[in-house]
Amino acid sequence: MDEKVKEEASKDNYRQEPKVGVYVCHCGGNISDIIDVKAVAAALAKYPGVTVAREYAFMCSSNGQDLITEDIKTLGVNRTVVAACSPSLHELTFRGVLQRAGVNPYLHEHVNIREQASWVHKLDKAGATAKAIKLAQAGVEKVLRKDALNAIRVAAEQRVAVIGGGAAGMKAALAAAGKGLEAVILEKTPRLGGKLPELGKMYPSGEEGAAVAKKLEDLVLAEKKITVHTGAEIDFVSGFVGNFKINFKKPDGSSAQVKAGAIVMATGYEHYKPYKGEFGYGEDGTVLTLPAFTALMKKLPAGRLEYGGREIKSLTLIHCVGSRQVEGVHKPQADGKINDYCSRVCCTAALHAANQLKEKYPGVRVYDVYRDIRAYGMKHEEYYDKASKDGVLFMRHNELDQPVVVSDRTGHTVKVKDVLTWGEELEFKTDLLVLVTGMTPADISLIKSQLKLPSGADRFLQEVHPKLRPVELANSGIFVAGAAQYPMDSTEVMASAGTAAAKAAILLAEPDIPLEPFVAVVDEHKCTGCGLCPPECSYDGALMMGEHNGKKVAVVNPALCKGCGACVAVCPTRAINVAGWTLEQFDAMVDAIAKE
Amino acid sequence: MKTLEKIEVDALVVGSGIAGLQSALDLADQGYTVAIVEKNPSIGGKMISLSKVFPTLDCASCITTPRMASVSHHPRIQALTYSTVDGIKREGKTFTASVTRKPRYIDEKECISCKRCEEVCPVYLPDEYEQGMGAKKTISIPFTNAIPQYPVMHPEHCIRCGACARACPKDCLEFLQEPAPVEIKAKAVILATGYETTPMTAKKQYGMGALPNVISPMAAERLLAPHGPYGRVLRPSDGMVPGSIAYVQCAGSRDKSIGIPYCSRVCCMYAIKQAILLSGSLPIADITIYYMDIRAFGKGYEQFYNNARAMGINFVKAKVARITEDDKHNPIVRIEKQEGTSAPEEVKHELVVLSQGLVPACDGTKFNLGVGNNDFGFVQLSDETSSSAVTAGTGVFAAGTVKGPRDIPDSVVDAGAAAMEAAAYIRRL
Repeated sequence: MDEKVKEEASKDNYRQEPKVGVYVCHCGGNISDIIDVKAVAAALAKYPGVTVAREYAFMCSSNGQDLITEDIKTLGVNRTVVAACSPSLHELTFRGVLQRAGVNPYLHEHVNIREQASWVHKLDKAGATAKAIKLAQAGVEKVLRKDALNAIRVAAEQRVAVIGGGAAGMKAALAAAGKGLEAVILEKTPRLGGKLPELGKMYPSGEEGAAVAKKLEDLVLAEKKITVHTGAEIDFVSGFVGNFKINFKKPDGSSAQVKAGAIVMATGYEHYKPYKGEFGYGEDGTVLTLPAFTALMKKLPAGRLEYGGREIKSLTLIHCVGSRQVEGVHKPQADGKINDYCSRVCCTAALHAANQLKEKYPGVRVYDVYRDIRAYGMKHEEYYDKASKDGVLFMRHNELDQPVVVSDRTGHTVKVKDVLTWGEELEFKTDLLVLVTGMTPADISLIKSQLKLPSGADRFLQEVHPKLRPVELANSGIFVAGAAQYPMDSTEVMASAGTAAAKAAILLAEPDIPLEPFVAVVDEHKCTGCGLCPPECSYDGALMMGEHNGKKVAVVNPALCKGCGACVAVCPTRAINVAGWTLEQFDAMVDAIAKE
Repeated sequence: MKTLEKIEVDALVVGSGIAGLQSALDLADQGYTVAIVEKNPSIGGKMISLSKVFPTLDCASCITTPRMASVSHHPRIQALTYSTVDGIKREGKTFTASVTRKPRYIDEKECISCKRCEEVCPVYLPDEYEQGMGAKKTISIPFTNAIPQYPVMHPEHCIRCGACARACPKDCLEFLQEPAPVEIKAKAVILATGYETTPMTAKKQYGMGALPNVISPMAAERLLAPHGPYGRVLRPSDGMVPGSIAYVQCAGSRDKSIGIPYCSRVCCMYAIKQAILLSGSLPIADITIYYMDIRAFGKGYEQFYNNARAMGINFVKAKVARITEDDKHNPIVRIEKQEGTSAPEEVKHELVVLSQGLVPACDGTKFNLGVGNNDFGFVQLSDETSSSAVTAGTGVFAAGTVKGPRDIPDSVVDAGAAAMEAAAYIRRL
């Protein structure tokens, strides 16, 4: 095994007499307002195998954790069931409690009586309580059949691969290198900088986007620990935490590979592209997107605003094009979904553009058609203020009353049902229309499908939890930085990329990484070598046919196995089990739940 | 004064709100040693006192308590609570902070958090944790999930009856305890001193805090919290269940008349969140939000706003000119609508929440470490397009709302980046 996998999982049963402690959490009312937690604890206290059952306001708090530690010390509790929230929130918290108290952390069972009982049976308190008791009893049956497990340790490449060389990618690489890690940036275009150079003058610093790109690029190129591959076309990404392999083509056509312990997805965004006919877009040249207009403004001489051979005397900004879309009002995107999210940066960007325009061409009339002005940042409000003072005329419409644009050779006629003038239907002529377009995620379908990365309904990469694990993807060892996660401005990108690098550095702080031991285990005596299971396995190399004592059997690579259980389901002889989730445990849980 | 306690660590984190906790954890998990100094008796900051948090509606405790527990159990983190940073000096590559541990008037080494002292104490005080709506004893543990679980005695209110000392099974009351000096040497400093809300008295048109049923959003959080002062939502003047509740947005932000022209970023979302929670606990109540612009700009926020509208929460684009009250203390809100009709209207509600903005809690420049402030007293970044945490003071970094209003997800992300900048700085030394 070239992955240098150290399999330490002991197959020994936990030999001590099982003493189960059951802890029922109130979740500060989330559970106890519906479920009679005292009744649950009382019922469990009498259940066979249970040494002690308690209830407490917040089991996850320090006091709650101390209750468990105390029972381990004084009552000899050696297995725990915590009936509380979802295991995705706090299973790790309680495993930590067991570990600190000297008990194998996998002898814990987390029973979800919040999402699965109190939240879904709000109108049936007695039923919810009965269900919580059953679920907790099933948890006891399961934990009684658990084995002590050890994390699988995998040696990790001390290197971070950063996919994308824009602001987020450069910052993530710089931050990782700052911590002493090697970083490799893979950028598909021929240069670093991403969208920065197109941005024009940035708010609120006033720096040119190109200058910011140059500043970051100079830092990256001066850093010895960073390797940059521009023009890199990624072919294939594989592997797992600690041992990712990214195969890519260089501009000269040759193939190369980067091995990395962690991956930072800094793949950025695309500007929303209006469809043909959206507010007249694409029909003649006088409907521009905001990015196109920004690029144009940089090039045009001061004095008289001319475009397409005509003098532009008035200009109209229409906000929320491609953002905050509403079902039934807006045309769905290619995937059938609407962009119902706010793109966060466009309001201030539009105000900033309007101000620059007014500075350069004070005579041009500017109309701003919006729904809400979301100038949320520290100095953003000043842009709004300045625009109002400089005579930008604001009109506000409701989402159901979209502005209507009729274009002809003389320009555009815009109709707005303006709530600021109490629903007046306003109609005015304008020479140039600028659509304030939002952000959409960049197309990373290849990497997403190869690494099975999760995205939300908004198609951006989806973090595990916005507060607990805000830059981690569900795939262990893969982090997200910048606008690949959600629209954000440049300072927010710096924060996001810095944190992504911090999480990578924490992951790689030790030379080897612990992996969950919940992997398939084959009982070689029961396995008949029938070969049904390998075709079911979705993870390359995780399960193959091999030999054991001269007998053909299924063989698992624990570093690659994700414990999905597909092999367990097809095995005709029940020879495969997922450690920590065995068929015997499930049988006992079902029996406990079905018992009268 | 006691003998000087000396601590030497890689990084000093000032403040233990969610940003301070996260910065400390992200440094310690990389192998650095960290000391946190917190002025309050418990770590956890403002977040621990919130009810539920947007946009996921997780209970705030469920997110904060495990962070607090991780910090308190972390082998490389020391948290000094109920302690103040009196000064920080830079000497070469080392910062030396002089810190004072305020007396709790108990022996922390002996205390077993049994609460007997609290049970027998006969003197009640308004509980600031409950925003003054509940009561606490003169000697008490600050709140249920406080860390550490030590009681604090307030000598200015103590009547010297000695009941606590007699009840204590460990004999750990120390009425003569004095402030204890601590010296912390660190290579880097992270300022995570957070925010305060704009005071109730900021705007005279909104009643100056004198109208009993015009409350702060922090008070509303406590009313909605699982362990709140009344255990349910009642209005302060008479304990009535309010049938009509209004939120006044931008009551302390986007308002030049009170010197706070900026947007506080979080108020739209917390108002929407509280409105959603209120309609859960008071299903028949009418809830109105008077707003200028709804700024639901974060991930999942627009959808959250849309859910609130679908639930029947009434969003009215209007500026609130004045709040008065009738003889039953019902707040009368004078509004000028910016949609529908133009004439000013007076609307009677039974409870009003002022969506206050965020102002700095601590002046980052006071330690004279070269850190600069922006026009509004928040810490200024030295170069915001290349780092979200580096200040003009070498070795001094800033995390969370000390740099300006931001919500919890943004603060958590921000804190990780501050930890990373500090780690890189320490490595370069």
